[in-house]
Amino acid sequence: MIEFNHVYKSYDKNYILRDLNFNVNKGEFIFITGPSGAGKTTTLKMLIALEKPTHGTIKFIDTELQNLKPKDIPFLRRKIGFVFQDFKLLSNRTVFQNVALGLEVSGIFGDVIVKNVTEILKAVELFVKKDEYPLSLSGGEQQRVAIARALIQNPQVLLADEPTGNLDEDTSRIIIDLIKSFNNKGTTVILATHDKNLIRMGRARTIDITKS
Amino acid sequence: MISQRVNYIINYFKVALLNIKSNITGNLFAFAIMSFSYFIMLFFLLCYVNIYNYMRLFQKNNIMIVFLKNGAKKDNVINYIKTIKGIKNIHYYSHKSSLKFLEGKVNHIRSILKGVNPDFLPSFIKIRFKKDAISKIFLSNIYLRIKTFKGVSIVYYNKLLEDKIVQFMFFTKVIGLIIFIFLFILSIFISYSAIKLVILRKQTEIEILKLIGATNSYIRIPMFIEGEIGTILSFFLSVLLLFLIFKTFIYYHFSDFLAYFHINIIFLSGWQIFLIFIIALVSGFLGTYLSSKKFFYEPAI
Ligand SMILES: Nc1ncnc2c1ncn2[C@@H]1O[C@H](COP(=O)(O)OP(=O)(O)OP(=O)(O)O)[C@@H](O)[C@H]1O
Ligand SMILES: [Mg+2]
Repeated sequence: MIEFNHVYKSYDKNYILRDLNFNVNKGEFIFITGPSGAGKTTTLKMLIALEKPTHGTIKFIDTELQNLKPKDIPFLRRKIGFVFQDFKLLSNRTVFQNVALGLEVSGIFGDVIVKNVTEILKAVELFVKKDEYPLSLSGGEQQRVAIARALIQNPQVLLADEPTGNLDEDTSRIIIDLIKSFNNKGTTVILATHDKNLIRMGRARTIDITKS
Repeated sequence: MISQRVNYIINYFKVALLNIKSNITGNLFAFAIMSFSYFIMLFFLLCYVNIYNYMRLFQKNNIMIVFLKNGAKKDNVINYIKTIKGIKNIHYYSHKSSLKFLEGKVNHIRSILKGVNPDFLPSFIKIRFKKDAISKIFLSNIYLRIKTFKGVSIVYYNKLLEDKIVQFMFFTKVIGLIIFIFLFILSIFISYSAIKLVILRKQTEIEILKLIGATNSYIRIPMFIEGEIGTILSFFLSVLLLFLIFKTFIYYHFSDFLAYFHINIIFLSGWQIFLIFIIALVSGFLGTYLSSKKFFYEPAI
């Protein structure tokens, strides 16, 4: 489903990724790991065409990303849910509105929104906080809002960048179980982390980008 | 598909209103700046319209005087003049009435006019035209026709003054146009800066929306709506303001004074307000377009 072929990435002639090769199959759960600054976030960003590989090719399903036209990028991004390291929630919108955005950007409005957002907020156990604003939530709660927003488009792939970054162990567990539960329903998951404990806990295929 | 379109539009309006609500101070500031710019524009137009209107009164100088040769058959001339269209009334003044007029003017020394032959004084016809029927071409046309008629000596219609005024009105038009273009560009620039203040705050929001798959138009259309709502409201505020000032100062305090000089102050007509309104809409649109442009350069991947 996803193929990285001889991907190199440099910023100002400073290569952070060299000859990265990996495949991800449909429905799989994989970890991408490496120390801080190794290029995990960069790898995920290249998948949603936010960064461009310096050399090499990336394929998503049938699309060679280097051939993608700017106007097609939004449609790629709707197929890939992204949970950002810093959440990227809109502070002037409620939890409900933030999650609903995931559907509204694809032109879905009305009752469907209420139904789907309610459903997913219940799944991440945040329905009671639906009318609060992101800044009044804890880190773990914001993380779950970000996950809910990424998943509401029912994407084929979920990319999660350090989803347990600043969370304690119990909260990390909850988040990981949540992501796993969506993986069990068929969503392919790529999770970037430097947290060895999390990888041990997740027991899944791991790609170390420093060893590429 | 139509209901889908409607949903999109409703959503764009919702987002625009949400944006306004969440940045109320920024929007009020932009609103105030834009109101001020439209107010200035309307104020200039009001002044211009009144100057123009005042000068048109001069141009509509509607009297023509036809001096007759001695011994001319006045009835022929009068009958001829009567066939001309656009005439309000005709008065004939004989040699004798000219003398009487002169005597009236120099009442205290009227004895020196004793024995003067009335034939030395002119006999003439005064033609008053209908105000709405005259224009420069019309008058000069008639001037030429009457001048060549048998028995007519001189035709006088304040031609010199009229030509001066026509020239002056031409300059007024040109200057008015220049000021107008200048104000139009200024209002685009002001809208641009004002809207930019609002949009700059949205930079992160725009980036986030793009990351989750929003198309450019999805992000941009609410901005245009937001910009145009601001434009429309500030435009009407400035019209209202101008109207109130017009009413208060000019009507209550100066109307007698102005009436004495036969100056008739008028407010902008519906069409003129509509013209500025269209200009405001265009400048709001261009302002939004220019200030949001830099967010929509998609780097080639
Ligand atoms: N836009 C950019 N311009 C220049 N350098 C960049 C840019 N983005 C990332 N980098 C550099 O690339 C390297 C990899 O960054 P990246 O964010 O991918 O690391 P990471 O593995 O996600 O680290 P962390 O675990 O801290 O999140 C870093 O050294 C970073 O400074
Ligand atoms: Mg990172």
